[in-house]
Amino acid sequence: MLDQRSSENPADNTTSPASPGLSAVGSRRRRVDPAGRVRGRVTHVGDVDPGSTSTAHVALHRSTRPHARIRSVEVDEALAIDGVQAVVTGADLYAALGEHVLTGPAFQDQPAMAYDRVRYVGEPVAAVIATDLATARAATESVHVDYEDLEAVYDVDDALTGRAFVHDELRPSAVFGDLRHLNGVRDTNVNYEFRLARGDTDAVETAATGVQRRFWCPPTHHVPMELPCTVAWVEGNRLEMLTTTQTPSYVRQTVADMLRLPLSDVQVRTRPLGGSFGSKMYDRLEPLAAAIAWVLRRKVRVVASREEAFLLTTRHGARVTSAMRADADGDLVAATADIIYDTGAYADVGPRITGKSGMVASGPYRIPNVSIRSRCVYSNKPSAGPFRGFGVPQVTWSHESLIDELARRTGEDPYAYRRRHLLREGDVAAMGTVMHSADFTGCLDAVAEAVDWANPPERGEGRWRRGQGIAVGVKAVLTPTVSNAVLQLNQDASASLLISTVEMGQGSDTIMAQIVAEVLRIDSHRVHVVPADTDVTPYDTITAGSRSTYHTGNAVRLVAEQMRERLLALAAEQSGVPAGELRLTEEGISGSGHPEPLRVEDVVLRHFRARGTTLTCASNFTTDWVPYDRNTGQSAKVTEHWFAGAVAVRAAVDTWTGRIRLEHLAVSGDVGKAINPFLVEQQLSGAAITGIGHALFDELVLDQGQFVNGTLLDYQLPSLGDMPDRLTPIIVESPHRTGPFGAKGVGETGILAVAPAIANALRDAVGVRLTELPLTAERVLNAIERKRAEESPQESRQQSPQESQEGNQ
Amino acid sequence: MTMLHRPESLDEACMLLAELDDAQVYGGGTAIEILRRQGILFTEDLVDVSRIPELRAVETGPDGVRAGAMVPVRRMETDPAIRRAVPLAARTYGHVANPRVRNTATVGGNVAHGDYRLDPPTALLVLDATIEARSVRGPRSLAVREFFTGFQETALEHDEVITAITVPAQPTDAVGRFVKMSSLSANDWPSASAAALLTTEDGRRTLHLGLGALAPVPVHLSLDVSGMPTERAVSEAMAAAEPLMDPIPDVRGSSDYKRRLGLVAVREAATDVCEERTHA
Repeated sequence: MLDQRSSENPADNTTSPASPGLSAVGSRRRRVDPAGRVRGRVTHVGDVDPGSTSTAHVALHRSTRPHARIRSVEVDEALAIDGVQAVVTGADLYAALGEHVLTGPAFQDQPAMAYDRVRYVGEPVAAVIATDLATARAATESVHVDYEDLEAVYDVDDALTGRAFVHDELRPSAVFGDLRHLNGVRDTNVNYEFRLARGDTDAVETAATGVQRRFWCPPTHHVPMELPCTVAWVEGNRLEMLTTTQTPSYVRQTVADMLRLPLSDVQVRTRPLGGSFGSKMYDRLEPLAAAIAWVLRRKVRVVASREEAFLLTTRHGARVTSAMRADADGDLVAATADIIYDTGAYADVGPRITGKSGMVASGPYRIPNVSIRSRCVYSNKPSAGPFRGFGVPQVTWSHESLIDELARRTGEDPYAYRRRHLLREGDVAAMGTVMHSADFTGCLDAVAEAVDWANPPERGEGRWRRGQGIAVGVKAVLTPTVSNAVLQLNQDASASLLISTVEMGQGSDTIMAQIVAEVLRIDSHRVHVVPADTDVTPYDTITAGSRSTYHTGNAVRLVAEQMRERLLALAAEQSGVPAGELRLTEEGISGSGHPEPLRVEDVVLRHFRARGTTLTCASNFTTDWVPYDRNTGQSAKVTEHWFAGAVAVRAAVDTWTGRIRLEHLAVSGDVGKAINPFLVEQQLSGAAITGIGHALFDELVLDQGQFVNGTLLDYQLPSLGDMPDRLTPIIVESPHRTGPFGAKGVGETGILAVAPAIANALRDAVGVRLTELPLTAERVLNAIERKRAEESPQESRQQSPQESQEGNQ
Repeated sequence: MTMLHRPESLDEACMLLAELDDAQVYGGGTAIEILRRQGILFTEDLVDVSRIPELRAVETGPDGVRAGAMVPVRRMETDPAIRRAVPLAARTYGHVANPRVRNTATVGGNVAHGDYRLDPPTALLVLDATIEARSVRGPRSLAVREFFTGFQETALEHDEVITAITVPAQPTDAVGRFVKMSSLSANDWPSASAAALLTTEDGRRTLHLGLGALAPVPVHLSLDVSGMPTERAVSEAMAAAEPLMDPIPDVRGSSDYKRRLGLVAVREAATDVCEERTHA
C-alpha cells in the first residue's frame, strides 16, 4: 500500500498551492499525458518510423574476450550474406577518424568500436549494416576475430595489485579540466584518487568505542523499460540524430569533436524517455551511430536488445573499508574511509563519482577528524557510469551501518544517536562546505514518526522476528553547471518553453510548466515544453543528478520573470500607466486607476497587430564551485546545494529461510519546496523501490568478466510481491534561499538510505550485521546460523560475539 | 530461416514431425521463445499445433480430468469443473509465472519443456497423472512419474507430440497443498517447491510429495504416515525427502541453501495437509 498524503492530513507540512486555479507551484496536478505513458501512446525514439527504406539497420559483433589484442577481423563471410550492405570495423572507424574515435566525459578512453584491443566481454568490434535488423543480427555471427589474449583485471584486487593494466596510459578528456594533471600517467589501473583530510584522525587513538568494517556493494544495472535506440544520418554536410539520451548537449559536443564539425552542423534530438536512471547518458550508442552514419553516408538505426543494454553501462561496484570512533561520552570523534569504485573498462564519470561521493563518505555528521581516500579503478568489465545516487548509496551503505553499530555499542538508540550528531543549518561538513537547506533532523524525525519508532515491534520468539531500522543520506548536487531557457509567449496567452531538459518519466515537463504558470499567472496546462533538440532548445549541462528542478527551474523562473516584465512594459506603453504601477494577475494586467484589466491576449495583439504572434525571452542560470584542494579535499563551496533524505523500516525476518519482509518503509526527502507534491512523492517512492532491489537481491553477477545473469530471466528486480506492506513517502521542506520558490531536486534523495535502513532493521530483529549487499535470504540465513552456532554453548549470553571492538576485519 | 508449419490435424502434425529433420512442436511458445532468444534452441522447423481442435478439448468426470495439450494453463487454474476434480493440480497451475504467461502457456508445452523448476509437474506426480502422446507410429501413454528422465530431458521421442494429460480425480477426502519458494525476487523462478497430498484409504494415511527445483528432475515420493501425529509425520516427510534433493547451484543460491528451502517447503506443505489446511 502506498500512503498518499492528502492536504487534510494535519502532519502534512507541505504548503498548499498559492494559486489552485492555475495548477501552478505547489499544485498536485497530474503529469503531462499520464494516460499516454501508461498505454504506450507516447512516441519514444524507437517508435519513430525510420521513414524511408533507405534506413539501414546496425547489429554489433561483440568481443568474446575480457582483454585481448585484436590481430585481425574477417568480414568477407558476413558481407556475402544477402541483405548485408556493409561491415564496418573499429579499425575502419579509426582509419577514418583517427584518435577522435575515442570519447568520454572524464577520460578520452572509449573507442566507438574497439580497434586495437578489446577490454571487456561484449565490447563492439564490428558493425554489420543490413536492410533489416534480423539479417544484421544473424550476420554478426559470420564476423570472425583473431585475438591475442592479454592478462585480465577481474576485480578491485587485481586492479590494485596485479601486473595487468586495462589502459596503457591515462588520457584526460577536455570536459573536466581538473583532471589534466593525470595526462600520460602509465602502469596503473587507478585513474583517479580523491583525498579528504580534516582534523587529524591519527591523533584520535584513545577513542572509547570504535567500529570498523569492510563493506561491498555489487555492480547493478538500471533496467529502464525503454531500450536505448539511436538513429543517425547525414543531411547535406550535417550529422543529425534522434536518440535516447539524458545528455543531448553533451552528445552534440562529443559528435562535433569526433567528426570535427562546428556545433551548428550537429543536431541531436530526443523524445520522452521510457525511464533511464542514469543509463542513457554520455557515450552510449551515439558516437558509434554517428561515426558509422558519417563514414558510410547512410541513415543508420542502432537499437540495443535487452541483453545488449546490460553491456552498455552499470552501477559501480564499490568496496568501502571504513571506521567510526566515539569518545567516552559517545560523541563522534573520528571517521575514516578507504573507497574503491570499480569503473570497468572505460572511466565514464567514475572519477567524478569517486570525488563527489567520496567526500560524503563520513555521512552528514559533526565529526572533527575525518580522513578519506577514494579511488576509481579500471577493470576488464563493462563500463560503470552514473546510476541514481551517483555513487553515494555505496558510501551511505558504509556510514549508516557503522553509526548504527556504534550507537548500539554506546548503548544509545540508533535514531537518537544519529539525531544528536547530524549536521544542522550553518554547520560545516567534512569537506569544508557550509550546510544550508538540508534538514537531516527533520527528515529523520519524519520517518521515525511514520513507523512509530518510539513503540518498536515485538521482536518475537518463533520463526518470524521483527525489528526496525533507520538511516539518513546526504548528496551534493552536480556543480558547476549551466542551464538556459527560451520562452515564447503566444498571442493567445499560451506558452512554449524551450529547454534541453529531457522528460524521462521524472515529470520535468510538468513542473517546468508549473513554474512558468506561477510567474505568468496562466494555467500550467497552457504551457508546452518542447522536447530537447539542439537545433532549437538551448544548452543544458545534463538531465541528471537531480539538478533540473533547481538549475533549469531557475532558468525557467528567470525567463518567465523577464516575460512578465516585458508584458508589463508593453501594457505600460499601451495604457500610459507606468510599468511599476502594473501587476500581472490571472485576469490580466491591472494597475491603480485601471479597474478593467488588460488581457494578455490583447496586449500582444495590439503590439504586433497580428494574431498568432510570439514574444520571446531567453535566460541563463549558471552555478559555480570552488574546486576541492587536491590534498585535503577541502572546498569553501563544493556544491550549489545539498540533498537530505532518510528512511525508516519495520521488517520481519523469516529465520527458517532468511527472507526479509518489509512491513513498513517510510522515506523522506528535503526538497526545499515541492513544486508538485504528487510528483515528489512518486520520486521518493520510486527511488525507494529501486533501493529495495539493491538492498535485497539486485546484483550483476560476473564470472571471469562474463555476465552470468545479464538477462531479464535471471536479473532480479523488485516485483509487486516485494513491495513493503506499506510505503510512506514524506516531503520535508526547508526552502533553499536561491531555489526557484525555494525548491531543489528529488530524483536521487529517496534511494540513498534504503539499503542500510533495511540492514539496520535486520540487525535489530536478529542481531546480525551484514556488510555485503545484497542482503539475500541465503546470506541472512547463513549469518543467523553462524550467530546461533557461536552462541549455543553459552545460551544465557546477551550480546553477540561479533560485538567486539575491532569488528569483522 | 525459421519455417512455421501450421497443421490442421493431428495426423498432419505427426507426418510433419516424422518427415522433418529437427522439428519442434510449438504450443503457447512461452518457453520456446525464451530458449530461441537464449540461442539454446536452433530448430528451423516449428510445428504450431494450435489449429488442431481436439488438442483444446477438456473432459471432466468422476474419474478425473483429461485436458488436451493446447489447453491454456490459465484454464486449468480457473475452470470450476477442473478445480472440483483435481483441486491440488488447479491450485498448482495457478502458481505458474503470471496471468499473462498462464493465458498463453499450454498444458502440453509445460511438461514438454521438461524444466526441473516447473510448478505443475509436482502436483501431476503426486496425483499420478498420465501423458498421452502420438506419432506416425500410433498413440502411447506415459506415466508422468516416468516422464522426466534427466536435466531438461523427457521420455518423449523426437517425432512425438503430446496430445493430452489425464489427471485422476483427487479423492474427495484427500487434502492437498502446494508451496513455492523463491530465494531472490518474489516472482522469480522457484528455488524450491513442494506439492503435498494426504490420502486416506482403508484407514491407511499416505503422504505423497512432489518436489520441484530441488533436483535435475521433479521428484516424487510417498510415505505411510498412519497413526502419526502431525509433528512426527512432518519430520518423517522431511527425512524422506532430503536424500532425494540434489539442487543445482546457480545465482539463486547454493545447493545447500536450496536444500534448506526445500525442507521448509516440505515442512509447510506437509504440516498444512496434516492439519487439513488446504488454502493455496
